[in-house]
Amino acid sequence: MIEALGFLWPSFLVAVCLVGIHTYFGIQVLARNVIFVDLALAQIAALGATVAFMLGHPAQSLATYGYSLTFTFLAAVLLAFTRAWATRIPQEALIGVIYVVAAAASILLIDRAPQGAEHLKQILTGNILTSGLNEIAVIVPLYLAVALVHFLLRQGLAQSSSLFWEFVFYATFGIVVTSSVALAGVLLVFSFLIIPAAIGVMFDSSLPRQLAIGWVAGILTSAAGFAASFAFDLPTGAAIVCAFGVALALAGLAYPFVRGDRVLALKITVSTVCWAVAALIAGSAIQLAIAPRADLPLIDMLEHAAPSLRNLYFTKTEAIAYQDADEYAERHRLAAEQLIEQERRSRTQGEALDEAAMQRISSFLKSYAEMRKGEQFVMSEVRARARERVRWSVSLGLLAAALLLAPLPWRRLWTRLSR
Amino acid sequence: MWLYQLFAALCLAGCVSLGQAAPAWAQDRIRVVATTTDLRSLTEAVGGDLVDAVSLVPANFDAEEYQPKPQDVLRLKDARLVVRVGLDYDLWFDRLLEAAASREIRRGGPGYVDASWGIAPLEVRGVTVGPGDGHAHGSGNPHYWLDPENAEFITANILWGLARIDPANTKTFEANRQAFLARLSAKLTEWKARLAPLRSMPLIAYHNSWPYFARRFRLDFADFLEIKPGVPSTPSHLAGIIQRMRERGVRLVVREPREPERDVAFVAAKTGASVVVLAASVGALPGTSDYMQLFDTNVAALVDAAASR
Repeated sequence: MIEALGFLWPSFLVAVCLVGIHTYFGIQVLARNVIFVDLALAQIAALGATVAFMLGHPAQSLATYGYSLTFTFLAAVLLAFTRAWATRIPQEALIGVIYVVAAAASILLIDRAPQGAEHLKQILTGNILTSGLNEIAVIVPLYLAVALVHFLLRQGLAQSSSLFWEFVFYATFGIVVTSSVALAGVLLVFSFLIIPAAIGVMFDSSLPRQLAIGWVAGILTSAAGFAASFAFDLPTGAAIVCAFGVALALAGLAYPFVRGDRVLALKITVSTVCWAVAALIAGSAIQLAIAPRADLPLIDMLEHAAPSLRNLYFTKTEAIAYQDADEYAERHRLAAEQLIEQERRSRTQGEALDEAAMQRISSFLKSYAEMRKGEQFVMSEVRARARERVRWSVSLGLLAAALLLAPLPWRRLWTRLSR
Repeated sequence: MWLYQLFAALCLAGCVSLGQAAPAWAQDRIRVVATTTDLRSLTEAVGGDLVDAVSLVPANFDAEEYQPKPQDVLRLKDARLVVRVGLDYDLWFDRLLEAAASREIRRGGPGYVDASWGIAPLEVRGVTVGPGDGHAHGSGNPHYWLDPENAEFITANILWGLARIDPANTKTFEANRQAFLARLSAKLTEWKARLAPLRSMPLIAYHNSWPYFARRFRLDFADFLEIKPGVPSTPSHLAGIIQRMRERGVRLVVREPREPERDVAFVAAKTGASVVVLAASVGALPGTSDYMQLFDTNVAALVDAAASR
């Protein structure tokens, strides 16, 4: 527990640094309407690293970084031209082409340099969890330098869209992305770039306030992502990306309440929620009536959360059969795990198991797996038959519930009928 | 300069691929396609000069995630015997055989060898997802070639396959196999003696490739960094590993050359352990060009790492 917190806080600091620089670049990227440019630059940097691999340079060496950076600068030149070229086709299309070609070229090269395959996978997922103070010592001066350059050249960057200024923008952005993608992976860097900036742009139009809103939102969301990763034992990068998705959705929901007519917004929200729940229930009802043996997501989820719900439609025999099969399946699983553990211990402790004993354990394990599968089949079969039995009554009941929940003008209908 | 180097590298890559496109099949030798380098090496040990064996998955690639290439189809067209790992390790091979192979070398044909026949798989948890006689065959841990004694089963399976294809030379194959097993047995005694001091020394590995190796040499792999292939560790899993390493005094972390350096270095740095790079397949490290050398190199690496602590 304490141990996990001990290495979570340095990686949280890394996330704060990344939010800091990427929110700024995100606002610029949104203004220029080149959303996927970071993916293209990251992929080009990965291509550079791949070429370095092929020439025999170790990963995380200065030479590899040099190759990545050189490739990124070349891409920056190319990207600077894309705005001028984008007269008949959108700029985003050209950026997409750069991305896919760079990605495909890396795959072709990786095919000849096996150690690089893992590197490419790391580029996609990264691992922010194992980054820490050493990385911060590198990225903080780098990002401060880039920020200083942008601050000194702010007028040129903001006003002119000449080739030179475009190049300056993409080259500095490339430097940032090359280092951040190596730390956090493409998915996380994309979230850091776009989502805090989008929230900032949503709620204000001046750059300093957009930045402030983006930073606060980004840091809070990262903290929530880290907390979720810690509390629910989830891979950290993916948890943070999902937290950012939720944050954007919440910001979208909050927007009408902050910027519009609150009463109207509340009314619309309530009726939307009612319609959504009603549609969900009606959909499940129709699915139950048509295909009672299929997976029924809503009902399955409810049953998973509260297993006693099954007793509502199981007969007593069905409930006992289901319960029995469940217990046996668990018993077989535990028995198999015990055997595996016993075999594992015998590798180092006491007498080594001879081949005959090993063969016996192995065939017992296979039998347990088969028996467990059999019990699971019994469980799903019992449930499917029970659902088939009650398909019409339950689906009619659910449909009625959906109709009641739907915000139809019931009162007006009632007065018209009674007249 | 870099442009020139890139060009040179591309040319080199092209030459290598052309070289592979037209394998130098000798006319009179039995053409064998093995899925992995380990099985190729064992096939060569049994077949000797009478076979010409190639492997599909390059050394150091993850055989479980291999994607067959067009040239693999060509290699299968020429093959009279195929040797695979089985145990759901090389599932992609089934579709390749369906697409490319003659009836002779498909599942059930005389030229089809599943090298896992007869081996007692460890850590069987589920039922197989592969096609064929899935019922009796659990999907245990597939890294069984890392127990040198399993080579007896593997080479027996290969021997039967070769004897079906070329009955006239059965005696030669059997003699080759016996000679190989005798050498292996002598080596095994030596390896066991050298690794004996490590028996009380728990290890951590990145991926669970080592249960057969651990069982034979009586090593204790306490935990694994990877929860599922391709999923990064969670905070509590990493914290649990670090805690267990401290409690049990784990001083060595095992990594295969293709596995990510950073995660392994991270736990090693946190606990003051050192990292040992071991090859799980023939050719994955320099000096592992055949089955015998694979163990020589791994044993030496482990012994050196343990001694330098």
